[in-house]
Amino acid sequence: MPELRGSFGDAPNHLLTRWFGTPDLHRLGVYESKAGGYSALRKALLEMAPADITSEVKTSGLRGRGGAGFATGTKWSFINRDAPGPKYVVINADESEPGTSKDRYILENSPHLLVEGILIAAYAVGANQAWVYIRGEYDEPYRMLSEAIEEARAKGYLGPKPMGKDYPLDIRLYRGHGAYICGEETALLESLEGKRAQPRSRPPFPAVKGAWGRPTLLNNVETLATVPWIINNGGAAYAKFGTDKSPGTRLLSVSGNVRKPGVYEVELGQSFRHVIMELAGGVTEGRSLKVFWPGGSSAPVLPASMLDTKTDMEALAAARSMGGSGGVIVMDDSHCIVRAAHRLLKFYAHESCGKCTPCRVGGDWAVRTYDRILANEGSQTELDTLQRVSDGLQNGRCLCGLGDSAGWVIDSTLRHFREEYEDHALRHECNVGGPPAASGRHLPRDRDEAASA
Amino acid sequence: MPDINLTIDGHKLTVPAGTLIVEAAKTVGIEIPVFCYHHKLDPVGACRLCLVDFSPGPPRPQTACTTPVSEGMVVRTQSAMAVQARADILEFELANHPLDCPVCDKGGECPLQDFTFRHGYPTSRIDGPRLHFKKPIPLSDKIALDRERCVLCYRCTRYYDEVAWEQELTTDERGVQSFITSQFDQPLKSIFSGNIIDLCPVGALTSRVWRFESRPWDMTHSETICSRCSVGCSVTQWQRRGQLVRVTSHENDDIDEGWICDRGRFDYTDVNDPSRLRTPLVAGRKSTWADAINAVAAGIKGKGAKLGVSLPQDITNEEAFLFRRLLDGPLKGAKVKMHGRTAIPAPAGATMRIRELDDARVIVVVASDLENDVPIIDLRVKKAVSKRGAQLIVVNPESVDLDRHPRTVHIRNQKGAAAAEVRKLASHDLLKNPGGPVAILFGDGHGSEDMNELATACGALAEQVGGKEMPLYRGTNERGALAVGVGRWDKLDAVDAILNWGPPPTAGLPRSVKFIAAWDHLPRDGYENAVVLPAATFAERQGTYTNVEGTVQFLRPPIAVQAPLKEGWEVLCELGAALGVTLDYPGIFPIQREIASRIPALASMAQAPSPDPEPTPVLIGPAHP
Repeated sequence: MPELRGSFGDAPNHLLTRWFGTPDLHRLGVYESKAGGYSALRKALLEMAPADITSEVKTSGLRGRGGAGFATGTKWSFINRDAPGPKYVVINADESEPGTSKDRYILENSPHLLVEGILIAAYAVGANQAWVYIRGEYDEPYRMLSEAIEEARAKGYLGPKPMGKDYPLDIRLYRGHGAYICGEETALLESLEGKRAQPRSRPPFPAVKGAWGRPTLLNNVETLATVPWIINNGGAAYAKFGTDKSPGTRLLSVSGNVRKPGVYEVELGQSFRHVIMELAGGVTEGRSLKVFWPGGSSAPVLPASMLDTKTDMEALAAARSMGGSGGVIVMDDSHCIVRAAHRLLKFYAHESCGKCTPCRVGGDWAVRTYDRILANEGSQTELDTLQRVSDGLQNGRCLCGLGDSAGWVIDSTLRHFREEYEDHALRHECNVGGPPAASGRHLPRDRDEAASA
Repeated sequence: MPDINLTIDGHKLTVPAGTLIVEAAKTVGIEIPVFCYHHKLDPVGACRLCLVDFSPGPPRPQTACTTPVSEGMVVRTQSAMAVQARADILEFELANHPLDCPVCDKGGECPLQDFTFRHGYPTSRIDGPRLHFKKPIPLSDKIALDRERCVLCYRCTRYYDEVAWEQELTTDERGVQSFITSQFDQPLKSIFSGNIIDLCPVGALTSRVWRFESRPWDMTHSETICSRCSVGCSVTQWQRRGQLVRVTSHENDDIDEGWICDRGRFDYTDVNDPSRLRTPLVAGRKSTWADAINAVAAGIKGKGAKLGVSLPQDITNEEAFLFRRLLDGPLKGAKVKMHGRTAIPAPAGATMRIRELDDARVIVVVASDLENDVPIIDLRVKKAVSKRGAQLIVVNPESVDLDRHPRTVHIRNQKGAAAAEVRKLASHDLLKNPGGPVAILFGDGHGSEDMNELATACGALAEQVGGKEMPLYRGTNERGALAVGVGRWDKLDAVDAILNWGPPPTAGLPRSVKFIAAWDHLPRDGYENAVVLPAATFAERQGTYTNVEGTVQFLRPPIAVQAPLKEGWEVLCELGAALGVTLDYPGIFPIQREIASRIPALASMAQAPSPDPEPTPVLIGPAHP
C-alpha cells in the first residue's frame, strides 16, 4: 500500500514519522541501519534503571494518544514494579474510533518502532509479557507486526535474554473481532481474557487489577511508538515541542471532504485551520467547510467558525471538545448535520455493549427520535427528547466513555446547529440540499494523484 | 478494621472501612435504589441507578454501589444532580418496559415499581413504540424468562458465575438488543437455579410452579425452616386459602446466606395434592382416629424384633422424643430404620459450624458430593474458595462440581478406601502449613465407606492439622434423631409388622410383613390393606429440627393443622395411651422443655422464639424530583 507510506506534515518537526517512507523500513536491518532502530532499547536495557526510564517519560510530558490524553509517565509509575507476581503490558491496537487510522499507519510503516516501544515500557514497569490487542480487520498490520516480532526474536531483542540482559521479554498478539467497545481499555481486557467485551467498573484501575487480575499497563500504539525517540533524545528534548501542557507532536488522521486526506504528524498547538486548510489541502472545490470532528467521532463537533482552535488538549477542552484519538473528520456544506448525527448515533447504539442502562437504552431512544425527525414527524417534543437523552448519557451517568460520546454527538450538533435541527423538527424541511454525497467521491485514488491535483 | 466517619444527607455515621456507600446509607435508613447491586454479589456498577453526589469527588454523580466510604466524605443523595440522575435512569429502564404490571407475578413486590414510585418522574415522557421480544421463554421446567421486563442488571448471570459456579446462563447480543439466555438454549440443570427468581429485581424471571397462582398481597407468609435436607435453610413459605403456593429464600447468614436449592424451592406441591390423606383408614374404609389408633396398637404391640419401623427423615425432635418413649416401653426390641439417613455415627460433641467455613484456609471434602448431599453447604464452600481464597481438597472416587475451580485438588480414591487416603493427607503440601483454620467435611459415600474407620481417620486428621470436623448428615433431622436415640439403621427384612411413618423405605415395604400401619400424607401403593393414619406435612407441623451442624431450629408453619388432621405429637400421645404408656402433654411446649432438660445436645429448645419474627423494615424514599 504505497499511499500509506511516508512522512507528512510539518517538516522538520517529525519525531515519529521521520523515517516513514524509507524502503523496507519494516525490515529489522533497515530499521536499525537507516533509522537507528533499537538504540533506545539498548540504552534502556543496558544503561538505564527502570525508574529512570519512567522519569524520562514523565519529563517528556507525553500524554496518551488513545483518547483520554492521560500523562503516560504518571500512568507507568502507577504500576508497582516490585510487587510479586506477573505484570502485563497491553497495547491497544484496536483503533476502532471512526475517522482514525494513525495506529495502522505506524504498524504498516514501521512495526519495529512499536516493538521497541513495547519492550522499553515492559522493562520500565517490570512486566515480562506484553499483549498487543490488534483490530481484527488489520490483516496487513497484523502480518507485519508478527514478522517484526519474529525478526526481533531471531535477533535476540526479545526472548529469555534480550540484548544479553537477564530479563525475559515477550510479545504476543491477540486479534479483536470487530467490536468498537474493545477499544475501551477495560472491555479490551475482558475480551483479551476471552470474556464478553464489557467495560469494568473502575476502581480498581488496570494498573492495580488489569489483565487476569494482575497489574497491567495499557497504552496506545502511538504512545509507545513515541517512547524510543524520548529515550534516545531525552524527555526534555521532547517537551520542547508542542505546548506546555500538551508537548510533542501527534498524528492526525484527516478524512472526509478534504483534497488530501491522510495521516499528518503535527506539532501540538498548531491550529486546525493549518491542518485542514493547508496540510490536507482544504475542502473540495466549490464547497466550504461546515463542521469538523477534531478527535474522532467521539469528540464533540466544532463548526467552521472555530477553525482556528488549536490542536493541543487544553485549547480543545476550552472549545468544549477534545483531542481524542486525533481523527479529524471534515464535512463540507453539502451535508445535513441532522443526518450526520443520526448516522453516528446509529453507530453508537449499535456498538453499545448493553452493560449499563443509559447507553443501552439512550442510544437506541435517540436513534428512534432522529428517525421520526427525519421522517418529518418531528416537533418540539422530539427536540426536547434529544436534549434529555443527551443529558442522560453524559457526565458520569454511564459506565464508560461510549455513552458520553453518543451524548456529545447530540449535544454538540444541537448546540452549534440548532437552526438546522429546527428546520427538520419544526418546519419539516432540510435546507442543505439532500443526502450526504456518496463517500469516495472526493477521495483521490492515491496520494500521487492528490499531490498533482 | 479501622472505622470511617462520614456524613450522608446530614446524618453523621461511623462504619467499618471498606463499607460501600450504598450499605452505609442503609444503616441510617436512607434508601439508595439499586438493581445490579446485591449484597451477596460483587459490585459491577452496571445499572447506574445508585448515582449519588459526594465530595471530595468529581463534580459528577457517582455509583454508590462501587464506591467505598472514605474519612470525612460527605454524601448527598438528594442533590438536584443525584435526584435527576436516578430519575433519568429509571426513565431509561422504563423506556422499553412492557408495563404489563397487572398480569405480572412481581407486581406488588417489584423494586422497579417501588423505585419508580419513590425516585422516578411522576409523569411518563416516553414516546414511541417499545422493543419486543418473544416471551415468555422457558429457561427450564421451573423458570420462565420474560425478556421485555428484564432490566439487564446481570444479577442472575453473575450469581451463576460467582456463587453457583455454573455456566448455564449468559447474555447474548449487545446494546439494546441484549438479552439473557441459557447457554445454547439448553434448559437450566443446576440444582441452584431457583435463586435467580429471588434475585431478579423485576418480573423477568418467574417461577413456573407459582406463575399466575396468586398476587403477592393475596398471601400470608411465614419464615420457617426447609425440611428437604439436613442443612436447615431458612425459607419463607407463602400460603393462600390453606394451600402452600410459594417457597422463597429467607436470609440467615449463619446457615444459608439467602440461597436455597431447587428441592427446597419447588418441591412443595404435594402439600396441596387433592388426594392428600385427611381421615384415618382401616382396610380401605374411613374410620375414626380412636379406631384407627387402636388398630395400629393391636397390630404392633408386643412384636419385639418382629416389628419394623421406618422413620421419615423430617421427623421432628419432639416426635422423635415421644417415639423414643414408645421404643423404650411397649415397642422394645423393634427394628428402626430412618429414611434417608447416612451411616455416619452420632457426633461425640459439638462440630464445626457452617459459618466457620468462611474463614477456613483449607477445606477437605471427603466421600461426599456436596451439591446433592448438602446443597447450600456446597455454595458456602464455593464462596470460601472463590471469594475468600481457601484451598480445596476433594477425596472422592467420582468427579464433583467443586472440581470446576482450577485450584481444586481432587484425590481419586478407590470406593471404600477413603479412610486410607485421609490418613495420608496430614502430609499433604496444603495441610503442612495451612495458614489458618482447616475444615474437614466428610460424608458416607452413600454407603460405600466404612464409617467407623472414616470418622476415626477424619478425627485423627483434624487433630494432626488442628482442624475442625463437619460430619455431613443427610437426613433432615438425622442429627436430632441421633441425639434422641432413634436415628437407627437396622435392616427391616424378616419383620412381621411394620409401622411405616412417612414415605415408604427406598427398597419398598418388606415382603415378609403381614400387618402394615402407614402414617403418611399421601396414599401410596401397598397401603390398600393397611391401617392408614393421615399425617401433617412440613408446611403444617410444629416442632424443631436439628440441622447438620447441630443447630436446633423452630418451625413456623404457614398453614394450621385442620381437623381431622392432627399434629404428630398428638397422634403419638394417643398411640402411647393405646399401647399403655402415659404421654400426657397439653401442648408442644412442655415436650420441648422436657427434651431440653433431658438431652444436652437439644438444650436450646427451652427458649422457643417468638412465633412472629420481626418485620422487615420498609425504607421510605424521598419525594419525586
